[in-house]
Amino acid sequence: MNPFVDAIFDPALFATLLRVMTPLLLAALGVMISDRAGVLNIGMEGMMLVGALTGVLVSAWSGSAWFGLFGAIAVCGAIGCLFAVVVNNLGAHLIITGIALNVAAAAGTTLGLFFATGDKGMSGALKSGVLPNVKLPGIDAIPVLGTILSGHHILTYVALIAVPLVSMMMARTPFGLHIRAVGVDPKSAATAGIPVARVQMTALALSGICGGLAGAYLSMGYVSWFAQDMTAGRGFIAIAIEVMGMGTAWGALAASVVIAIAETLAITMQSLGLPNELMQMIPYVVPIVVLTFWSSRKLRLAKLAA
Amino acid sequence: MKRELLTGLVQLAVTVAVVVVVVLLILVPFALSQAEPMAVLSGFLLGPFSSLRHVGNIAEVATPIVLTGLAATVIFRSGLFNLGMEGSFFLGGLSATAAALLLPLPDFAAPLLAVTAGAVVGSLACVIPGYLRLRYDAPEMVTSLVLNYAILFAGVFVLNYFLRDPAAGALLSYKLPADARLERLLAGTRLNSGAIIAVVACIAGGIWLYRTRSGLNLRIIGLSRGFSDHLGLPFTRLVMSAQLAGGLIAGMAGAIEVLGLYPRFSWTQLPGLGWTGIIVAILARENPFLIIPAALFLGYLQVGADFLSRGIGIPVEVAGVVTAAIMLAMTATAIFQHPSLLRLIRNLRQKEALAP
Repeated sequence: MNPFVDAIFDPALFATLLRVMTPLLLAALGVMISDRAGVLNIGMEGMMLVGALTGVLVSAWSGSAWFGLFGAIAVCGAIGCLFAVVVNNLGAHLIITGIALNVAAAAGTTLGLFFATGDKGMSGALKSGVLPNVKLPGIDAIPVLGTILSGHHILTYVALIAVPLVSMMMARTPFGLHIRAVGVDPKSAATAGIPVARVQMTALALSGICGGLAGAYLSMGYVSWFAQDMTAGRGFIAIAIEVMGMGTAWGALAASVVIAIAETLAITMQSLGLPNELMQMIPYVVPIVVLTFWSSRKLRLAKLAA
Repeated sequence: MKRELLTGLVQLAVTVAVVVVVVLLILVPFALSQAEPMAVLSGFLLGPFSSLRHVGNIAEVATPIVLTGLAATVIFRSGLFNLGMEGSFFLGGLSATAAALLLPLPDFAAPLLAVTAGAVVGSLACVIPGYLRLRYDAPEMVTSLVLNYAILFAGVFVLNYFLRDPAAGALLSYKLPADARLERLLAGTRLNSGAIIAVVACIAGGIWLYRTRSGLNLRIIGLSRGFSDHLGLPFTRLVMSAQLAGGLIAGMAGAIEVLGLYPRFSWTQLPGLGWTGIIVAILARENPFLIIPAALFLGYLQVGADFLSRGIGIPVEVAGVVTAAIMLAMTATAIFQHPSLLRLIRNLRQKEALAP
């Protein structure tokens, strides 16, 4: 077989794809839930940072990576609730609140890291846990398929399972209906007796939980430490993925696969000696191109219909 | 005239009160958690005024955010939520460095030409999302957010492959030629002639926005697209020129920052001053005349945090947390459009109207 085909069927490449996709998918699902409830969570980047730091700190203190994970989920879920209170009860501007969350998280996680370790840059001194990889029983034993499907990080599986779950929640449950109704028109939803503020708060809490999972994956799976600004704009890519996925869970999965392929190619091409920085640009340029293409198509169709 | 002044004063008083409360709400518990609470509080709040040099530092820190704040104001006034200021700032600094190092600039005009190059190239980060929005209806907020990072990596590439000084050890550019650097105004600080440009730009921006026809048109478009269409205003052209103006200002800010402060270009992360510009614009209520005090206040917080970090070893990021909280409080309609405040303002106006 030629080397290109070999590379595609190389399980290591597929594993890289899943590795880079996991945080993006989790974060994009979180952004999606908030967006559909009409409270787009621009603060996802900040939530991921907080989740990553909380995971490391709690797991180092408790000695268990699982406590770290739950800590990250709890703290980010609480931030989601706070976000909702600030937007709905204080009446602050939605986007500004998200930006403020990002600014506060970038500064706050640096402070937190400093007070925990005395170092501003990295948590290398802390002995923090790592969440395990999972071997799927049964599938693991199948020759080729087993190495491709089994043995990935537990949060990778969580992310993949979350896609149908979130999709079902949005489409088939009363709560999902409430979210969508609130997102389309909060006033009509309120007239119909839906508690708008509570639905938005729950949506933002769920969004925060997704952000916490994504952050915990970064610091307890992708790598095993926390570094200043380690999210590197992934929260913003997640927003782009959500828009590319047109607000559905399956769309978010498809879009995050596209971005993850771009990023995997970038990582592979780096090893071929192409300039690292230019390759790093790719996952940030792809959303711009795709969004422009789709928006222009929608515009053209709207013009044809008119 | 007088009633305008009075209501303005009421709003200013509320703003100042909110800011003071927010700062104290964050600083006091933080200080109490430290070994010497009073030292932390007095260092942060009074340290910046302890010497002329520190006051100069405030102005030095305020210079770039006056300009990015002005850029954010012009762009937000057009009604687009374009967040490309951060990318423009970075690109402006990089391009000014590239121009100063690679182009044969005549000595006497080197700073001017380098700043111009920075502004023009830097404006791309704001112009591209704006253009994609107006031409293809692509959401400008999302595209500008990711474009900032694309620009960052492109910039690090240029730095690494074209501007890098192999003798410098770390990832730094060659030394900027002395002719291209901006003049220092106050000995012992890095306050430079960029501060003068920033002040002039703000006043010019304020006059443009409030005293000229195109400024009025822009404000109308930002407030109501429908009304502006009824008036027959050229929507695309005006909004696009606002993105261009904002991008040019933010790019210029980056160029001034690099040429004014640093011997070499060294950014390998987004410097974050574009975001701070958004905070400045919000604090100033998107009024160019108020940008200078708003930026000076944020500069004061920053210098206070620097003071703490040098004196007690607490990281400067304290300022970031305080600024984010101020940002939230400033947009809180529960405070600024509280019925009792609105009633007070209305009563003031009526009293004024009843008086002969």
